[in-house]
Amino acid sequence: MKGTLAVARFTLIDLSRRRILLVFAILGAVGIAGIGTILKIFSSTFAGAAFTGSPGSAPPDPAKINRFLDLMFVSDLVGALGLFALLIAFGIGMTAIYHDLESGAAVAIFSKPVSRFAFTAGKVAAAAVAMIVIVGLLSIEAMLVGLLFGGGLEQTLVAEAVAQVANALTLMLIVLALSTWMNNIVAAILAFIYNAAAGVVVALHNQSAAGNLGDNAILNGGLNVLYWLVPHQLTSDAPRELVKAEVELFSTPGQPGPDVSQAVASVPGPSDLTDILWWAFVVILFASLVYVAVRRRQV
Amino acid sequence: MAPVVSVEALRKRYRRRDPWAVDGVTFALEPGQAFGLLGPNGSGKTSCVKMIAGLLRPDGGVISLFGAKPGDPAARAQLGFAPEEPDFPKFLRAREVLDYFASLLGLDEDERKRRIPETLAFAGLDQERRQVRQFSKGMKQRLGIAQAILGRPKLLILDEPTADLDPMGRRDVRALIESLKASGVAVLLNSHLLSEVELVCDTVAILAKGHVLKEGTMAEVVPEGRTLEDVFVELVQASAPPKHDNLPSFITDKEDQ
Repeated sequence: MKGTLAVARFTLIDLSRRRILLVFAILGAVGIAGIGTILKIFSSTFAGAAFTGSPGSAPPDPAKINRFLDLMFVSDLVGALGLFALLIAFGIGMTAIYHDLESGAAVAIFSKPVSRFAFTAGKVAAAAVAMIVIVGLLSIEAMLVGLLFGGGLEQTLVAEAVAQVANALTLMLIVLALSTWMNNIVAAILAFIYNAAAGVVVALHNQSAAGNLGDNAILNGGLNVLYWLVPHQLTSDAPRELVKAEVELFSTPGQPGPDVSQAVASVPGPSDLTDILWWAFVVILFASLVYVAVRRRQV
Repeated sequence: MAPVVSVEALRKRYRRRDPWAVDGVTFALEPGQAFGLLGPNGSGKTSCVKMIAGLLRPDGGVISLFGAKPGDPAARAQLGFAPEEPDFPKFLRAREVLDYFASLLGLDEDERKRRIPETLAFAGLDQERRQVRQFSKGMKQRLGIAQAILGRPKLLILDEPTADLDPMGRRDVRALIESLKASGVAVLLNSHLLSEVELVCDTVAILAKGHVLKEGTMAEVVPEGRTLEDVFVELVQASAPPKHDNLPSFITDKEDQ
């Protein structure tokens, strides 16, 4: 336990001084503030005027427009947050263990009475804490930006921020695991490809589950198998809320319009317990792979 | 007296098609003894000491470190290892590196407060405030030796400890080895600086291509009237295919006037 804490503590000090993380964190902070401000000014100045309704029909309810714009604003903010969370996940995953193994620092460390398990646990814990702290700070900033422009959607933002941190954590562990086997740039590229492929598989699976891909049993079965071979992105209810608000905004009372439940069915809903358990399994799996790689490593 | 470390028929190769890096090496080291492991580049010296430190897995043979396997944390707690090209987490400072290793060694707060400043002063790094990434090779080597002695080891392995040191640094390392020997610490010195080995070691083994060519006390290995260098060159040359000593022709050719 002492070894794990020592490795975690000094890895955090080391990570906190890495310029690449500092640059990503500053870019994230500036980006979120900038994107938030620009979007809010743009949407409140121009977008409201665009929602005049169809010719001959009654103008939409201003409360609905505001709700839609707020959701769109939150969606854009969490999109920016997600992007910077991914960059930070790559930054930490590529450096936390790789540099120690490649520079020779591991030679001196492993000659001390510390087990490879304690070393791995300390490294993974430090990497996770570093990411949670940086993305957590960016999330607080995003919330402050949201509050500055009216607020009221903090709950949605908190849930989405937690989901983004969880997804970035998975990606970081994939990069960490791969970087103990290979060059860290190659590891990052492979992790990026795997993550993108996983995203496509999950999206296709959602379409299949919603019945949008027809009733081809082989296709649906294949997608079902693939779905349980890749990490699932955790999501909050924000994307569905957004689509729901959009559909409701453009439907006219008393006239046939798009069915809300059908429209939101193809949008990923909030992650359920199965998804969260699968995420936990994937995190443990990749953390174990990091340990296996570190244990086997001869330095 | 029970040996601090003993290796028997040690073997190692890095890939199946590669020749053996270490092939059947056997020796033992007792408390207070300084053992020199000598050999040309690529003779298997570093592979040997890394296997003793539990950093490489042997492909054959037995290693006993304080009566246990090298992977045993209790055995490694009594070992100090200064690697050949030491490196450390590069954004830490020298004091933080020693604090890190002191934590791994399980030293309490009082011991850390006592040992770290003294060890830094010994290494000449007590005034150094820069991060490791800004250190020269020599400074890293000093820090490598500092972290190796921090735990007050009963076995100190020094892998080419003076390769990047200035003459003062070399003298300090020699004094350290003498002092440790006197206090009963076993020292395994891995070097191809023969004059240095001759000064401090009681016993030597000469390695080439993973094999021990000759082993014994300094008096047994070096006959009177000869130097360690004479014996070393003779043994290594005899074990290797004949090599042309000619310099490249572009060096020896006289320039056209």
